[in-house]
Amino acid sequence: MRRGHRPGAGTIAAFLTPFFLPFVLFYLVPIGYALWQSFLVVRRSGGQYGTSYTAFGGFEQYVQVFQNDEFWASIGRIGMFGIVQVPVMLFTALVMALLLDSPLLKIKGFFRTTAFMPYAVPGIIAAIMWSYLYSPQLSPVIDLLNDIGLHPDFLGPGAVLWSAANISTWLWTGYNMLIMFSALQSIPQELYEAARIDGAGNWTIAWRIKVPIIAPSIVMTTVFSIIGTLQLYSEPAVLRQISSNISSTYTPNMLAYSVAVGNNYQQAAAISVVIAVITFVLSFGFMRLTSKKAGL
Amino acid sequence: MSSTVTRTRLVIAAAAAGAVVLSGCSSSDSSSDSASAPSCEPSKGKVTLQYWNTVNGMDKVVDLWNKEHPDIQVESKNISNDQYGAINNALKAGTAPDLAQVGYDQLPTERSQDAFVDASACKTAAGAESKFVPWTWSQASFGGEGVFALPQDTGPMAMYVRTDIFKKYGVPVPTTWDEYTTAAEKLHKADPKLTITFFDPNNAEWFNGLLWQNNAQMYSYSGDKWHVTVESDQSKQVADYWQKLIDDKLVRTDLANGSTQMFAAYQDDEVATQIGAAWGYTGIRDNLPDQAGKWSIVPMPTWGADGNSGDWGGSTVAFMKGGKHLYEAAEFNTWLNTDPEALAMANELGGLYPASTDGLELPALSKGVPYYNNEKIFDVFAASSKKIDTDFSWGPTQKTVNLALQDAMAKAVAGDGTLTGALAAAQSSALKSMDDLAIPNTAGK
Repeated sequence: MRRGHRPGAGTIAAFLTPFFLPFVLFYLVPIGYALWQSFLVVRRSGGQYGTSYTAFGGFEQYVQVFQNDEFWASIGRIGMFGIVQVPVMLFTALVMALLLDSPLLKIKGFFRTTAFMPYAVPGIIAAIMWSYLYSPQLSPVIDLLNDIGLHPDFLGPGAVLWSAANISTWLWTGYNMLIMFSALQSIPQELYEAARIDGAGNWTIAWRIKVPIIAPSIVMTTVFSIIGTLQLYSEPAVLRQISSNISSTYTPNMLAYSVAVGNNYQQAAAISVVIAVITFVLSFGFMRLTSKKAGL
Repeated sequence: MSSTVTRTRLVIAAAAAGAVVLSGCSSSDSSSDSASAPSCEPSKGKVTLQYWNTVNGMDKVVDLWNKEHPDIQVESKNISNDQYGAINNALKAGTAPDLAQVGYDQLPTERSQDAFVDASACKTAAGAESKFVPWTWSQASFGGEGVFALPQDTGPMAMYVRTDIFKKYGVPVPTTWDEYTTAAEKLHKADPKLTITFFDPNNAEWFNGLLWQNNAQMYSYSGDKWHVTVESDQSKQVADYWQKLIDDKLVRTDLANGSTQMFAAYQDDEVATQIGAAWGYTGIRDNLPDQAGKWSIVPMPTWGADGNSGDWGGSTVAFMKGGKHLYEAAEFNTWLNTDPEALAMANELGGLYPASTDGLELPALSKGVPYYNNEKIFDVFAASSKKIDTDFSWGPTQKTVNLALQDAMAKAVAGDGTLTGALAAAQSSALKSMDDLAIPNTAGK
């Protein structure tokens, strides 16, 4: 066998630059900048409008984040959202993936495409579309429900969070299904044959063989979903246009945005950093917790 | 949800860090709001000015100027998508335009961000004072401290009325807020699906217009401090009034102003009036063609004998810090906002209701409007414009306070608290947000 020679440093650099340059410019630098901003405070000298400048403030911005009731309320809200929406979405995705993979379902191509299709709709468009369906003044669905004596208020104070969750679920179930489905596709057929010889039916094969084998994919989609939940923005932001039951601080990201709009960039940076840390801890915590079981 | 991640990461980068990646990372973006105005000398040779705005058709008005002024070319850029985001980011990055559209209520906020230069030394601009409706000049000059912006348009308030509905149920069109309540009761009784208007808790700008009408001064400055009186007897009177209408279910609270849903409710004859502004006449006309001849515009209901009106919206064109051609900017800005031809175009294309007193006499604003029964609706707005308190002023963290007011009003509307409580929330938000930006403040007069 011929030993390949080591590529030169120039070659390595040439291959890595297309990735690293944007990564540094548009990822590391902004994060570093936000981090730095979060340790600054605004000071001002003289007069009604004065002269503003920034100074090092230590953890002052972070103290404010932790003392901010709106911040904790927004965390609580997406906590509820995540605890309900993520399991519902992933369980639905799993069932759909298993059905697609089972010999029972015909015209698979059709089902796979239709289930995946919502993912092709840009999130904002999806939210606008759903906002029409939720709106009593415009929705044909609500008209129908009214006819049979039901008067749902999808935008009411108690319901609007779940209306947003429904949009997320509609958007992302197909995407998660596809990840699980492709994992299912890579399971060797011999395993099933062996199981059948041992007397396993479709049900047993699905829950005792398929699900444990694709556990790593399920963990991965869960982590993505946790991250997506913590950074929830577009769905509630769009629904806010038609429902006053979504405040300007409804999710942590909306809070950060509202604070930035008020020119308090340093506080907004601190909020963003805290969201990032919570996201990091939760996703890695979940991975550690499940790594043994999932065989990662 | 990986794409959500990318998407929201963008939001974080853009919103939280304020898209400041592009800014030259200066640790102290200090630039003083110096008392002495810079000089105002013509530049040599041809100059090109940047002018950012949110007005439809403004590029055509600018074309008109450019044709007549080969040496002072203006480039108009529409920033409707994110007006203040664009302006504030550019300020941080040191790439602000020469001129930018800034709403009256955002003038103190922007000035606290060192956004403006004083063009008092420019005779054309400084000499234009008498050409504007008094309150507009008062706000743009910060009570006569300098020429930081020239008024462009205003939103004097009035009441849009479905006269056919009032006739149908034999209810007289109200002229005071007391009569408005009575009319609200009668209309709702006559048709349970009908309410006199809607209350949109997410529209602080509109609510501020109502406060303005009732002389509810929210800010003043003395003794080196901002005095915050968002919560005052006058503002509470307005809040209590609407709270009662909401409690009695005489106004609905499920419509957002300007939304498709709102126009759908109008179309279905479910709303009888709107307390609106001058610029709103095109919205009703264009979205409700079937209701031509049914709408009329009358003075908004009043509180007392003074018959004061309010203003909702309107903008100035501000002289931005960093511009290098102050003289030329002043020439263009003055022309744009006082020249009858320019004003007529901005009115026709962008629906701007001029802040210039000559502008109010435009032929287009003296004619009857076909949609509104050929009534001279602009006479109503012109009269309203003359009855707007000139002493009213805005706070240096107005956006934050508006958001806090909206959030608390929305809670109140959903049954958690009251509108008066929302004023208290806005008051504390004003104090807190000023603390955050190191602006000296105190509660009360």
